[in-house]
Amino acid sequence: MRWSRIAPQLALTPALAITAVAFVGSIGWTIYLSFTRSRRLPEYGIDWSEWGRQYDRLFRDAGWEISLRNLIVLGLGSALAIVFGFILAAMIDKEKRGESFFRTVFLYPLAVSLIVTGAAWRWILNPTLGAQSFLRSLGWEVDFNWLAQGDTAMYAIILASVWQSAGFYMALMLAGLKGINTEIWSAAKLDGVPLWRVYIEIIIPMMKFTFITCAILLSLGVIKAYDVVVAMTNGGPGQSTWVPAYFTINALSAKSNLGYASAAAVMMLVITLVVFIPLVALTVWQQRKREATR
Amino acid sequence: MSQVSVSERAAAAGEVPVTRARYFVRRKKGITPRSIAVLVFLTICALFFCVPLYVVVVTSFKTMDQIREGAIFTLPHIWTLEAWDHAWNHACSGIKCDGLKVGFWNSVSILFPSLILSISLAMVTGFALALWNVRWAGGFLFLLFICAFVPFQIIMYPLIVMTTTTKIYGTLWAVAVIHAVLAMPVLTLIFRNYYKDIPTEIMSAAMMDSGSFWRIFFEIIVPMSGNILIVVLILQITSIWNDYLIGVTFGGLTGQPMTVNLANLITISTGTTNYAHNMAAALLTAIPPLVVYFLVGKLFVQGVTAGAIKG
Repeated sequence: MRWSRIAPQLALTPALAITAVAFVGSIGWTIYLSFTRSRRLPEYGIDWSEWGRQYDRLFRDAGWEISLRNLIVLGLGSALAIVFGFILAAMIDKEKRGESFFRTVFLYPLAVSLIVTGAAWRWILNPTLGAQSFLRSLGWEVDFNWLAQGDTAMYAIILASVWQSAGFYMALMLAGLKGINTEIWSAAKLDGVPLWRVYIEIIIPMMKFTFITCAILLSLGVIKAYDVVVAMTNGGPGQSTWVPAYFTINALSAKSNLGYASAAAVMMLVITLVVFIPLVALTVWQQRKREATR
Repeated sequence: MSQVSVSERAAAAGEVPVTRARYFVRRKKGITPRSIAVLVFLTICALFFCVPLYVVVVTSFKTMDQIREGAIFTLPHIWTLEAWDHAWNHACSGIKCDGLKVGFWNSVSILFPSLILSISLAMVTGFALALWNVRWAGGFLFLLFICAFVPFQIIMYPLIVMTTTTKIYGTLWAVAVIHAVLAMPVLTLIFRNYYKDIPTEIMSAAMMDSGSFWRIFFEIIVPMSGNILIVVLILQITSIWNDYLIGVTFGGLTGQPMTVNLANLITISTGTTNYAHNMAAALLTAIPPLVVYFLVGKLFVQGVTAGAIKG
């Protein structure tokens, strides 16, 4: 009988060790480094008179400001994927015909690496040989040269990320829609309520948890966005498409500034926590609600 | 446990259509103008989703002369495999020009050890946490839930130091091990959620029978894990194959996966870019996960929703 108590604890040791070393310990390590003056190599002395110097510099860095602004732009732009996903899900759910076909088509981008996605969109947005020149040859004066200009390059990244993730939000929304009681539709039909009002006044409020889940998943994805930036613009032109994830890795690998990169990484963690706390609150609240209805 | 209900709900998401499928067969509808409008709209959206794939495929078969004409959407005049051959055998990544086949085999050699490591570790941990009375299981699960959300950048430097001191930095092993480490929290939560629904009668009968942790694991739990194993397998295959960040950070010069080779190829700024080569390279990188997707589409949805929090 004694072994039955020891064996599970032994089996958990690798996972515990990984959590303690690779996660908890490493986070502490990086936080500590963010207070030091480390450059290429770590320095473990902290000058307490100016322990926040890396953060001071960070908040005054124009590149960091651009990264934060781009984070918000990317978040708002990618939110289109949720809207788009909901519209697609509502249509597929109402129509039923071709459901599995449309689901397959809308979801395939998710199976592909963001580097591939970036390569494809970069080529389509090529100003001289891509879609722009094709549409111009048809006589349409369009301007698609987003990637070359700093103020529009983020749009290209948003386009690629919406294309990549809309199908995912569609799948989540579709699951949410299937959970809705079908009697609502017949009741609304009897009362003569137009369909769009049923969606806005009944369905969307009923699906608020699905929407909140989508929003949180989207925010977490946006904070981690790195691959798509590398593949589409590599941060350029200039610094115009920097995001915090790109900023941090650039500070570490290109600038070899360890203390500075650590400070930026800590700020990324803070941003993640800001998104994460409502998620915990939400799941706890939902759990209580579920128990109350039982 | 309340903390894991998001992934739990998401995991259930993929199963719902199956139960409803029977339901709407009964309801027959005629073709109304509205359903025609909806179908037309959906078809236009589907075409928009297919445009990049179409463009990549046709470009990869074109000659560079035709690409210079600027008609991106036209079919190739002459279908040629030259670009595919070049991308596979001669494309440059950095200073070496041995093609993407190097990266392909690297990705394969990263994939298998990483799959075995990450899945076996998560299965054992999930089993221990779900069915054995470990006193601190609740707190540990909460910690794992937090770890699943942590941005990679905050643990990046310490992990580089650890792989360097253990002398695996810059090898395929480093990439494979780091994949397994980073996937551990999410995969453990997925397995734990699945195992906690195993009826207590089965567990108490097994306890009476042998009571041995490993015997119960191998004789009862592993044979019962078929469904969740496939879902996790698909999730891990696509996320390991498509990863760029871990590969570029830990792969050094010799352990680069295919995505890193592709990224080097498309972001190169010197010389003239051969788009046919780039698109053939992109397709070669995309084919393995796409094959998985088209073979087991429905399970793929479950996999990505279950692992959604992994990002």
